[in-house]
Parts: sequence; structure tokens; C-alpha cells
Amino acid sequence: MELLPQALLDGILLGAIYINIAVAFSLVYGVLHIIDFAVGEWIMLGAFTGYHLTLLTKVEPFLLLPIVFVIFAGLGLALQPCIQRVLSGHKGNPTLMALVFTFGLALMIRGLAQTFFGFYSHSIPSHFSNGSYFFQKGSFFVTISSVRALGLVYAIILTLVLNLLLRKTDFGLAIRALAMQKEAAGLMGVNAKRTNLFLFALYVGVTAMTGVLIGVILSVASKMGPENSILAFFVVVLAGMGYLAGVPAAAFLLGIIQSIFLVYLDPGYTMMAVFGILYLILLVSPTGMFRRGM
Amino acid sequence: MTPISKDRRLIISVVVFAAAVLLPAVVHDTFWLRVATEAIMWVGLALGFDVIAGYTGYLNFGHQAFFGIGCYATALLMMRAHWPFFLALAAGGVVGAVSALIIGIPTLRLRGAYFAIATWAVARAVQQGALMAGFTGGPDGMRTSEYLNPHFFYYVMLGVVGLTFFVLWFLLERAPFGLKLKAVREDQESAKALGLNPTHLKIKAFILSAIPTALCGGVFAYWVTFIDPNSTLGDLLSDQALVMVIFGGMGTLIGPVVGAVIIFGFKTVFWAYLSAYEVLYLIILGALIAASVIFLPDGVLGISFRRRSGRAKQEPTQPAAAASGKEA
Repeated sequence: MELLPQALLDGILLGAIYINIAVAFSLVYGVLHIIDFAVGEWIMLGAFTGYHLTLLTKVEPFLLLPIVFVIFAGLGLALQPCIQRVLSGHKGNPTLMALVFTFGLALMIRGLAQTFFGFYSHSIPSHFSNGSYFFQKGSFFVTISSVRALGLVYAIILTLVLNLLLRKTDFGLAIRALAMQKEAAGLMGVNAKRTNLFLFALYVGVTAMTGVLIGVILSVASKMGPENSILAFFVVVLAGMGYLAGVPAAAFLLGIIQSIFLVYLDPGYTMMAVFGILYLILLVSPTGMFRRGM
Repeated sequence: MTPISKDRRLIISVVVFAAAVLLPAVVHDTFWLRVATEAIMWVGLALGFDVIAGYTGYLNFGHQAFFGIGCYATALLMMRAHWPFFLALAAGGVVGAVSALIIGIPTLRLRGAYFAIATWAVARAVQQGALMAGFTGGPDGMRTSEYLNPHFFYYVMLGVVGLTFFVLWFLLERAPFGLKLKAVREDQESAKALGLNPTHLKIKAFILSAIPTALCGGVFAYWVTFIDPNSTLGDLLSDQALVMVIFGGMGTLIGPVVGAVIIFGFKTVFWAYLSAYEVLYLIILGALIAASVIFLPDGVLGISFRRRSGRAKQEPTQPAAAASGKEA
């Protein structure tokens, strides 16, 4: 029982990382209705960009986040017209084809990354990497590594900023209108094409920044894409697809399940348990744990 | 609007099948026979994938689970229970069908994207299970008894896949079942209004997609004599089946065959001559998927169909081939 506070805390800190992975992904699904299979690959590319920038400039990686954001938002701007073309096609099932398209994209990025970045795993050096805080009360104790605490702070800031963006700006209003009713939003003067473009750019940028964070906290490797994609999917499906408010709860739940498994049960079965729970939740409630997905 | 009539396409298929039966008489080199056997296996995997993806409109990113389950079921029954091969193979097919039922009941109620994710999750869980469990040999994999007879495996594989093709042809192109599936794919609510039960139909299609895949897996296990969770339950299996189906033409039976032969041929040549650039394969595979989606939404078969069907677009009868593309 002495380990319980630590396990719960670890779960929450892990959940904070999952929020960062999934929040922009959920937003983009809510509006564009595409599942981006390349979500994990953006994280991987962002992490490598952060890694190489840090080595190059010797600056604290957290200060490099805006640069990473700009690079990847630019990439998103360049890529989105392709996806838009698939989505607005009249052939077959456009959303299915868009799914296939991002899937192909993910394979391509993974292959490119393995070619250029190699198979080794690295870690982004940060000034916060070694610090940690220790608390004790009776026989209970917890240790928080400062970089993971920073991850939680980052998750809170990101969620608040996205929230403000959605509630207080015209761009956010356009996004919410589009998510609600595409045709009606168009009639009210929302430029769907442009909003989609900027939203996708925002998503790729935010996801790549998360990559840097993961690179600092965990590690950077060219094969890290699929695992992160799975985590993003898990959180978003659990929360209900496109239901943004459900993301934090789902992410924390996933984090806590994982850390409880790591501490008390067989760590080898962690992912299996995670998938088993996903399966059961979909069985009981296909639209996520709040029944608010679409 | 059907550029080549259904009957003529059936005749072409029978001719191709007959040519495949006669192939070992011409090809004596066992290397090429092996390549042909594996190409036929991929045809089977692509056909299975297309039943659920093309005809039913559900992308199954966990298709490899059925292949692996068929592999392990056959191998375990042969090695641990000492069943004869064909009995074990049949049992592998049954196990595949039952697992499709178990996986399908919750996941097929989900809409498109949820389904793709849920099946992927299930497949990853199955792979994890095979890695952790004791009776599968874990990451070390397991061996099956050796039977080095390339002709035997060629004909067994051809038999399984040929049977699959003609059974699917009958069910999806001749019997009402295919039309019912397409109705569900195009509009589930309208299909319900017509008195169809979409969930039942989808589960049947899922089982129909799992059985040939599991059977191919069973033959594969005996053929290569060594199976492990990465080669039989890895994501790459579904990835390749998906490329084959998309490239050949989704929602047709000939499309996956053509796609499987072309893509597998490319893969063989690639590995034979360019194996130094191993990772390039992933890049090309990905680029091929992305480019096919943008430029060839009906697959390579769609190119010829589109050109020849330009005149008669308004005809009411839908072609079996290229149907997915023409119905908006």
C-alpha cells in the first residue's frame, strides 16, 4: 500500500503526456472527421527536430518549442490541401479514403525517419532532466521528477490555451460552428476550406511540440510513432471521438491504469490490459465513456 | 456499363486459375515456385481484406490477427495434439471464424474510424498475447514439422485461395448476399428500412473475411516451418493487404488479385535486387498508398473501367467491379 500514492501520481503525470498527445488530435477529428494515422509520426518527427535543434543550438529544449511549432505548422499547411482533396472527392467513401491516405503517409514518414535518423534511441538533454522532488508523510512517500511535473504544467497550459482559442477568438468560433453543422456554418459565412487548413496546421504544430516534450521525458526513436498513435487513439476513443472535454479524464484514466499495472501487476501485460479495457468500453458504450462522441 | 460482362470475367478467372494449376509443369525452379506460392497466399489475404473493406466498407487494420490465429491454431494442433495437417488446417479456419465472431460482435457496431482503431487495438493485443503466452513459445516463436515438398504447398495454397475466390464470387457477385452488403455499405439506415439486419450481415462478412485469411495462415505455418509473433501477427501484413486492395481496386474480386500479384511481384524484385535499401520499401509502400488514394481511387482496374464506361454512365445496373467508386 505504501506504493499507492506514487502509483497514482505517476499515472497522473503519464496521463498529462497523453493529454498533450491527444488533445489536438481530438479537435481535428471533431471538425475534419479524419483519423490521422500519422499522429504518432508527427510526434516522432517533432521529437527528432527538437533533438537536433537542441544539439545544434545548446538551448533548453522547452525554449525551442515555438520554432518546432512554426516548422510543423508550415508542414501542415503544405499537406492539408492533399487531404482536403481526398475528403472532398466524390469517389467511394471519402472519409475511409482519407484514413487510408494518412495511413500511407505514416508508413512513408516512418520509412524516411528510419533512413535519415537511424534506429537508435536518443534522449533530448534538458536542464530539468535530473531534478526531482521528494515528499514523505509517515510510511507514504512520493517522488516527482521535475521534468514530468513540467509535462503536467505544459498539459494544463496547452488545454487552457486551446480552450481560450476555441471560446474567445473568431477562428475558434468558426471551428466550433464547423464541428456542429458544416453546411449551416458555410451559410453563415465561415470559410470551411481556410478554417480546415489552419486547424490542421495547428494540430500538426501542437503534436510536434508534444514530440519534443516526450523526447525530453522519455526518449526519441524512429520507431516511436505507432505506439504514440495507439495511445492517441485510445484516449480519443475513450473520451468519445471529437469530444474534447473528455480528453483529460480519459488520458488520466489511461495513465493510472498503466501505472497501477506497472506497480502491482505484470508490466508485460500492461498494453494487453489497456486494449482489453478499450474493447470492453467500446462494447458497452460505442461512443466513449461519456457517450458524447460522434 | 459493365465493360467486361460478369460472365466473361468469370471465364477469365477460370482461365487464370487453370493456368495457375498448370504453372508447376512449366516452372521447375523451386525458387520461383516458392514466389508463386507466396503470391497466391497474398491473393488470399487481399481477398479476405476486401470482403470487409471493399464490400462492407469497414477498414480492418487488424486483419493480421486472423492470419496469425490461423497460423498458431494449425501449428499448435499439429505439434502439440499431433493432428494431421488437413484436419488442423480446417480447425484453424474454424478458430479464425470463431475469433471473427468474438471480435466482430462489439467492433462491428462501431462506425468506420472507430472500427479501424478497435480492430487495430485487438490485433495488437493478440500479438502481445502471443509474445507473452508460454504455449506459443513467446518471442522465440515455434517450429512446425518439416515437409519439404514445394509442389504440395503450391497446390494446397492454390486450392485454398482458388476455392476462396470462387466461393466469394458466388456469394458476393451471384447471391443476394453481395447486394445486401453493398446496401449496408452505402446507407445503413436505408438498408435497415428495407428490412435488412446490418449487424448480422456485417458479422457474416467479417467471418467470411476471416476464414480464408486464417486458412492461408495455417498453410503458411506448415509451409515455412517457423512462425513467430512478428512475422505472423505484425502490422505489416495488414499494411500490405491494404496496399494490394487499394492499388488493385477496392470492392471488386479481381482488383485484389491483380493488386496482390503486382505488389508482391514488386516486393520480390525489390528484396532480390535492392535489399540494401531495406527501409526504402516502407517509403515506397507508403507513397504508393497515398498516391493511389489521390490518383487512382478505383485502383488500376479503375483506369480501364473508367475509360471504357465513359459513355454509359447513366445505366441503372451497377457493375460488380469498380462499384465502390461509382456509387457516391
